[in-house]
Amino acid sequence: MTTITNDVKFRQLVSGLDAARQRALAARFVGHVLDLCSDERVTRVAQVAAKSDASASELATALHTARTAAIESHNRCGAECDWKDQAGYFVARAAVAAITPADQMPGGPAWQAAVSSRMARTCESIDTAAENAGTEQDYQYRTLAEFLEPR
Amino acid sequence: MSASLEQGIHAFKEQIDAPVATFFSSCVRCGLCAQACLFYTETGNPEYTPIHKLEPLRRVWKQEYTFWGRYAKAFGLSKPVTDAELGDWEKYVYDSCTMCGRCSMVCPVGNDIAYMIRRMREGMAAAGHAPEGLVGATRRAITIGSPMGVKLPALQAQIRNAEQESGLKIPVDVQGADYMVLLSSMEIMNFPEFISAIARIFERANVSWTISSEAFEATNSGIQIGVSELAAELVQRVVDAAEKLQVKNVISPECGHAYFAIRWEGPNLVGKAFNFKVVHILELLDDLRKQGRLKVSSKETQKLTYHDPCQITRRGGVAEQPRNLLNMVAENFVEMPEHGTMNWCCGAGGGVSTNERADELRLKAFKRKQAQLNAVQPDALVSACSNCRIQLEEGLEENSMDIPVLSLTETIAAHLSDD
Repeated sequence: MTTITNDVKFRQLVSGLDAARQRALAARFVGHVLDLCSDERVTRVAQVAAKSDASASELATALHTARTAAIESHNRCGAECDWKDQAGYFVARAAVAAITPADQMPGGPAWQAAVSSRMARTCESIDTAAENAGTEQDYQYRTLAEFLEPR
Repeated sequence: MSASLEQGIHAFKEQIDAPVATFFSSCVRCGLCAQACLFYTETGNPEYTPIHKLEPLRRVWKQEYTFWGRYAKAFGLSKPVTDAELGDWEKYVYDSCTMCGRCSMVCPVGNDIAYMIRRMREGMAAAGHAPEGLVGATRRAITIGSPMGVKLPALQAQIRNAEQESGLKIPVDVQGADYMVLLSSMEIMNFPEFISAIARIFERANVSWTISSEAFEATNSGIQIGVSELAAELVQRVVDAAEKLQVKNVISPECGHAYFAIRWEGPNLVGKAFNFKVVHILELLDDLRKQGRLKVSSKETQKLTYHDPCQITRRGGVAEQPRNLLNMVAENFVEMPEHGTMNWCCGAGGGVSTNERADELRLKAFKRKQAQLNAVQPDALVSACSNCRIQLEEGLEENSMDIPVLSLTETIAAHLSDD
């Protein structure tokens, strides 16, 4: 199995995936942080992202839903921060990344979903004051390595 | 903040300086300012005419500082400003004004109406008539150091994230750095990728920089609500941190009012010139471009347009720099009609976005931006203010417009050359 220990290699391997596999991988990243988001719409988007046979219209509807969920969940400017809610915002953003066409997402859907998922985990750590630095990243490295294993 | 009508009227009197008195006596009631205000143009409500929003302050000026006004007051022939009236006026002074300054640009006699609104807010806040959201934000800014209550451990966590993402060390409390970067709470919370973006740019451009752990917040709620004493305290914290670290420059980030606050109001608020220079991030990036230290290896191919944040472009003077940068990073950059210094506000500045009561109105005001965007049909919209970005995203969503909103700094970072 491929060993991944840093983001340089992670990004390099991710960028070599075609659009469908990027989405499948991104869906796994989103799935791993779904517990941080209470918005059912995001859960449904993650399910669509994970479907290998999702139609173009299903993906377009899911993208619109994910964007709405992300916009509705961000912290208002000047409002007191709620890091728990903010974790949900980043999960929604990860879902947006997962479902966005690869050519419209700098770095690709899987990379952006990975970044937003890590931010969601960071928000959780700020909210709970628990140390979890690197845990999401490690999970993503392992997941990618498994993902690349021949089936 | 203790507040009363008496304190409010006293504050109004204190705010009526020579410019305010001159502006009131010069107004010819032409109504041109109405046509420049998106709250008027998008609602058709004449009560949103900018000069009308100043009516209580105008009456105090007349009754206290003009011969006939004093005469009328002495004989009970003029209506005193009441507490209830100031309560009613909140919706004009805070909900329907972003202090964007577009009205000031069109006034044929040169009245700076945005300046007067800023002065009027001092009296409104002193009278206890400021929106709850802004009161809370100001309280948190003073007690916690951030209007959104972002504390140092949260910033440190986001910095660790940015370090992982960029593979670069984010410098904190580095003595003698050339630049001290301020961040808005919005960036720390909603757009933390800004931190890794500047880290990558500065590494490539060989910029010596740091973040202060003692004063990292860029925004100034004291200015938005209209309490100069608190605004000065917030500016002083930045001054103290910059002096302690002995930095040469302070960078204001992608936040409109933060730039105006520290760059243009800051020295006046603390009563002395800074011994460091304040630059907006886009000013620095354009300087780096000119020096050949900022290069891109690829360009955005989609059609991009730029939303000018009012406090950065119109009131801040940073108009050319974003265009130079966009022409460097975009193959197809197009201007919206009425761009640059005459751009239309997003509708959420000046504390409007912090004020929940104004939500419906600010989304109505967005219709003007929608019309500007419809005229050019961009693939993506670029801006340089986190508050504008959120308002633009909400407005686009509300109007089913599928246009992504990008940060200019982050867009440049995404196309950086390895050289």
